[in-house]
Amino acid sequence: MVSPLLILAAGLGAAFILGLLRGTSERPAFYVTIAALAAMSFVALSWVVGLVLGQTQPVEILTAGARPPFAINLFMGGAEAALISVVTLTGLLSAFYMRADLMRLGRRAMAVLLVLIMALSGLILTRDLFNLFVFIELIVIATAGLVLLSKDTRALAAGFKYLIVSQVISILLLVGVIFTYHAHGSLNIDDIAATPMAFTGASLATFLVLIALVLELKPFPANGWALDIYESAHPGFSALFSAASGTAALFAADKLFTAAGPAWLPLATGVGIVTFVGANLLALSQSHDRRLLGYSSVGQIGLVLLVVGQKALLGADFAYVAGGIVISHAVAKAGLFWLSGMVKGRTLSDWAALCQNPALVVAFATFIAMLTGLPPFPAFYAKWVLVHEFAATGQLPMLAIFLIAALIEAGVLFRWFGKAIKHDAQRSLTYHLSRETIVLIAMLAGWGLGWVWGALSDQGNVMTALPLLFALLFLPMDILPARVKNAIAMAGLVVWFVISYQDLDPLRLVFMIIMMLGGAVLFLASFHHQGRRMGFYAPAMIMYAGMALLLEAFTAFQFFAAWEMLTIGSYFLILRGKESEPHALSYILFSLGGAFALLAGFALAAQGQRIFWIEDLSELTGTLAPWVFVLLALGFLTKTAAMGLHIWLPGAHAEAETDVSPMVSGILLKAGLFGLFVLVMEMGHQRLYGVDLTHLLVWLGALSAFIGAVLAAFQEDAKRLLAYSSISQMGYAVFGLALMNHLGWLLAMMFAINHFVYKSMLFLAVGGVKERTHTRLMYQMGGLITLMPLSFVSVLVGIIAMSGVPPLSGFGGRWIFYNAIMSTDLRLPMVLVFMAGPVGFLYLFRLIHTIFLGQPKDNLRQVKEAPFWIILPQMLFVAFLIAFAALPGMILQRVDRYIGTLFGDQPLVWSGRIVNSAYGTWNPVAIWGVIIVVFVTVLGLLIWMNHNAQRVKQFNIVFSAERPFKPQTTHFAWNFFAPYRKAMGFLETPVSTSFWTGVTNALHGTAEFSRKLYTGNGQTYAVHLLLFVIAVYLISMGASS
Amino acid sequence: MMLSQIAMALGFSLILLGLYGALTNRDIIRMIVSFTIASTGVNVVLVSVGYLPGRSAPILDEAVPVAEAATRITDPVPQALVLTAIVIGLGVTALMLAYAYRLFRARGSLDISDFTELKW
Amino acid sequence: MTTRSFIPLVLLALLGTVFFALFVGFTPDETLNRTASYYATQTVPETGAQNVVTAIIVTYRGLDTLGEVTVLFLTAAIVGLVLAQSKAPKGRSGSGFLPSGELLTTGTRMLVPVILLFGAYVFANGHLTPGGGFQGGAIVASGLLLMLLADPAERFSHRLISRIESSAGLIYVILGLLGMIFAGGFLDNRILPLGWFGSVFSAGAIPLIYILIGLKVGAEFSSILTSLEDTEDAQ
Repeated sequence: MVSPLLILAAGLGAAFILGLLRGTSERPAFYVTIAALAAMSFVALSWVVGLVLGQTQPVEILTAGARPPFAINLFMGGAEAALISVVTLTGLLSAFYMRADLMRLGRRAMAVLLVLIMALSGLILTRDLFNLFVFIELIVIATAGLVLLSKDTRALAAGFKYLIVSQVISILLLVGVIFTYHAHGSLNIDDIAATPMAFTGASLATFLVLIALVLELKPFPANGWALDIYESAHPGFSALFSAASGTAALFAADKLFTAAGPAWLPLATGVGIVTFVGANLLALSQSHDRRLLGYSSVGQIGLVLLVVGQKALLGADFAYVAGGIVISHAVAKAGLFWLSGMVKGRTLSDWAALCQNPALVVAFATFIAMLTGLPPFPAFYAKWVLVHEFAATGQLPMLAIFLIAALIEAGVLFRWFGKAIKHDAQRSLTYHLSRETIVLIAMLAGWGLGWVWGALSDQGNVMTALPLLFALLFLPMDILPARVKNAIAMAGLVVWFVISYQDLDPLRLVFMIIMMLGGAVLFLASFHHQGRRMGFYAPAMIMYAGMALLLEAFTAFQFFAAWEMLTIGSYFLILRGKESEPHALSYILFSLGGAFALLAGFALAAQGQRIFWIEDLSELTGTLAPWVFVLLALGFLTKTAAMGLHIWLPGAHAEAETDVSPMVSGILLKAGLFGLFVLVMEMGHQRLYGVDLTHLLVWLGALSAFIGAVLAAFQEDAKRLLAYSSISQMGYAVFGLALMNHLGWLLAMMFAINHFVYKSMLFLAVGGVKERTHTRLMYQMGGLITLMPLSFVSVLVGIIAMSGVPPLSGFGGRWIFYNAIMSTDLRLPMVLVFMAGPVGFLYLFRLIHTIFLGQPKDNLRQVKEAPFWIILPQMLFVAFLIAFAALPGMILQRVDRYIGTLFGDQPLVWSGRIVNSAYGTWNPVAIWGVIIVVFVTVLGLLIWMNHNAQRVKQFNIVFSAERPFKPQTTHFAWNFFAPYRKAMGFLETPVSTSFWTGVTNALHGTAEFSRKLYTGNGQTYAVHLLLFVIAVYLISMGASS
Repeated sequence: MMLSQIAMALGFSLILLGLYGALTNRDIIRMIVSFTIASTGVNVVLVSVGYLPGRSAPILDEAVPVAEAATRITDPVPQALVLTAIVIGLGVTALMLAYAYRLFRARGSLDISDFTELKW
Repeated sequence: MTTRSFIPLVLLALLGTVFFALFVGFTPDETLNRTASYYATQTVPETGAQNVVTAIIVTYRGLDTLGEVTVLFLTAAIVGLVLAQSKAPKGRSGSGFLPSGELLTTGTRMLVPVILLFGAYVFANGHLTPGGGFQGGAIVASGLLLMLLADPAERFSHRLISRIESSAGLIYVILGLLGMIFAGGFLDNRILPLGWFGSVFSAGAIPLIYILIGLKVGAEFSSILTSLEDTEDAQ
């Protein structure tokens, strides 16, 4: 193995060789630079490979032929090799990236770049305290030099501010170093580690050294100078500054914290958490892309510092967690800065230019997922281990703060992503093939690292999950025509169902049928789209992959990974809608918030166990169990959009594309329901402060059912109406589930199936109408029955099914429902749920009445029936509804028997096609018979009377002298239920919306206020720095005394 | 008070003095000069830590035979460190001066509070 | 007193208490610590240098010194980079200066050779007497400064300076690498015989390295000076 010293020698030697070249020979100089950086990367990578394969051992490198501590020594181990690889490779790629500017400034700039990379590697390698200082100063000077690469004249001021601050830091560091030497008689870090200093006044030297290194990490709020550099420097250099310098400085800090001993770790934890929270909070109000990236870098480095603070607790996991976050951050941040060099404008919405290039959009999404710790990237695994560690050691406040800050970070990044995807580009991309190549290399590195971290994980590798791989296949396949991809996607879902359905219990089987086969049916509607439909199939399939994996998850980790996967896939899917930007953002934030609640719940439940089986939830006892229940329920209820957590749903479902709405409504909501099923099945009744939590769920379900229905009745937008109706329907299901008896569960199951069928059908029908009329506002439609008869049929069948009148399956649901609530003693929620029924009828009536009946509008007299591919699945659903109504036993009987085994009772008696319960009999076939007879009779009567009818010409309900202010107010169907609104309007007061808006505004207000701290004056920044040091000093002295 | 303590007190005073100058003078050149004062203070502190009362410089010639070195010389390490520190301080100062020149060229001003267009 | 100067004062008072705590807690060593006594006893057998500080700088902490030289290299490069864009047009530079007096011109002619010689002496004898590459280099550069003062219009070849600087640096790195091959490690001075203790040709590669450092430091300072000189009147 080549000596790691060659990394340093190659960098330095090449820098000196550059001086020998002619001043005008930029091209050879550039090649020398590249060759040296490549050689350095090669040495570092060969060490990584050698160490991983076990061909070589970590090695201590002596200089000057003397033993440490008498001569400087270096150390090359696994962490060092990996981080130097990150540093040198970032350097190599950035050199290519900055090629034009390096050539412009000539060989001196290249020499500076080489020395920077050399010094960063040296910082990682060295084991000598003073040598560390020398490398830090080299990095400072090289940084000040490379800032000048930027054509932005403001960079000059930024560089100077940086130098001022560095002077202060080096004063503190030097004083610390010399007193450390005096105390230990040695400058060797390992020697210092051998005799750790207690955290007392006498160990001020250690404090000064540590605080100086912490300051190098740009802790919040003493970091205005660093943000200025991020904002104004050349993006290629900012990539280095964030990815390479940040990484090396973190490692140096980690080295010294290790040497200082465990007593000092709280310092890292404290500064880390403050920085992570503060930086992300301030990033919220940023509109400048590079400054936002700067804040995000600061935040991420704070996060790693926080992990460093947990070093003693994490033990053997430390390298895995810290490394996962550091390397994820380095790759993603370098990639984002490189991307920013291709975007001309500097506001967040200027990133819309990326949409011209799908590969770059995928790269952008990848980097953001890496930063937010989504599967399958390393930070995801790291987050999992870290949260479990917090929970196992009882650091619950820390756990909460960490998750909240992570959520804010996700908010910052996804807000940006939404803007980039949805806004119109003002200026096009500055395109260079080489720059794109570099960005794509970073992206591939990200995926590769995801695989590596998965392989190292003891929880299993997300990247080897077949459904996910299949979904990812759609990324390269995106160049195929949409219809081909559609067929492949459908086939994939069906095949997955066929190969996996045998291992499932009936409960999971039902969900599997809904999600996989139902998904395949819904894809029929997607055949309507021609062309390529870029960016649709990969997210859709990631969502389905998440659901497939969710049903087969046995450990908490598998469950959580699948959960995040379906969340992220559906987010991208929802984001595709025309006006969906704010709704998609609130969707991802609520979903991630819910996911974090799940994570916290699982972590609390696991209590340090490496592998936690879902079924072990049932064995939880003691004071912890109800809290686990609350957290998990919160997570699942976010997905089912229970009242209070529902505000994301109407927008997200209504704004989604025609064929996406049924996917996210009919299918995705079932994931939450499935989670709740698993939860109540495993944990049953839990009591918190004497309250049975399932009773709370009953109430929540009933309220959701009732209020959701009321709100739906007041909507003018047909898709929003259906969306609110979903809230109501999910409320029924939650209610049934929470009853905790056999019939309740059967009811929930029935609702799961029914809701999927009729909500998919209705969304498709309304979507089809929208395709033709180009509006979703019901009062702008009317009389479409003759123009779109098939859509009418499916809406009619849908609302019959949904309202629970005979003969369709909704009635079966109601029948079970009445049976279920008869057997419970919760009267008040029962009344609420009862009342939700008639209210539901109000909105359903409106749907069919306003859209299809009455007079057609003049501008809509020519519309045609909805497209074939949108009608086809509706007709399938109609057929299914009729069949399911007649023969409910097909599915229900199996589920019923299965639930019976759980409760040990069998309240329903199935005899042939007749179902008996303690309260009555349900004979679906007989009902059909009766209905058909009645229907045919009435129809005949009507036809017979029809010849007497006369056509209505036109009508107008506006009386003379009335002054309508808005055109729609003249239509009778506008504000249709005004009288009810008067009576029940208070329910419409957007209490939850204003609550969540208040939270958001408070966060933004704090950010807007606190960022004024950064005055831009270099002197003030130096004052901040000293203030920070003094504050940390006083706090830590106070804490230790 | 011993010599090394006087030197150390002087060093610390120089550091504080230099920092005070750097934090209160708006003029960039004055700030740079203040920082050189502070780094000089650091260097004095460095050397004073390595001083052992009554010993001579760590050069082994006729005055200090090799055999007696361990009991006759002062600590050589801080002296080696201070050389490095001086050189680095000089490098940073030169760099700051060059920056000051460019800043002045760009804006015609040497007032640090004129260079605040990057903020928030 | 304004708040602008009040806040720093309070801050520095607090920082002063930190320093005061350090000061009060400091007790000078009675004997050399572990590291220092190793150097006191082992320097001569291991490196053959008379000046212990030199042995530490060039050998034991040679990596620091290489970094130090690199700091100067870097500074020279960046100063060149910073000032390159504001270079004076050719032929016009120096025109804004009054000619220097007869005294200075003549003095310069007399003194510069002596200064250069003295500089060379200091860096070649660094392993024996106080002094060394940095000091010698600075002295050499001061000769150059004197020449610039005497004749502000004088121009030195950047190319020559940068060649000296770079070759010296390159050879320094190569010497270091030779140490890995032929002796105990990077920058080990025993690639050359230790020689007779106390003579000029002793202490292995130390004098050689110090000469290189001297040349390099002299060239770097000169480079910074000439860069500054080039821009002085480019208004």
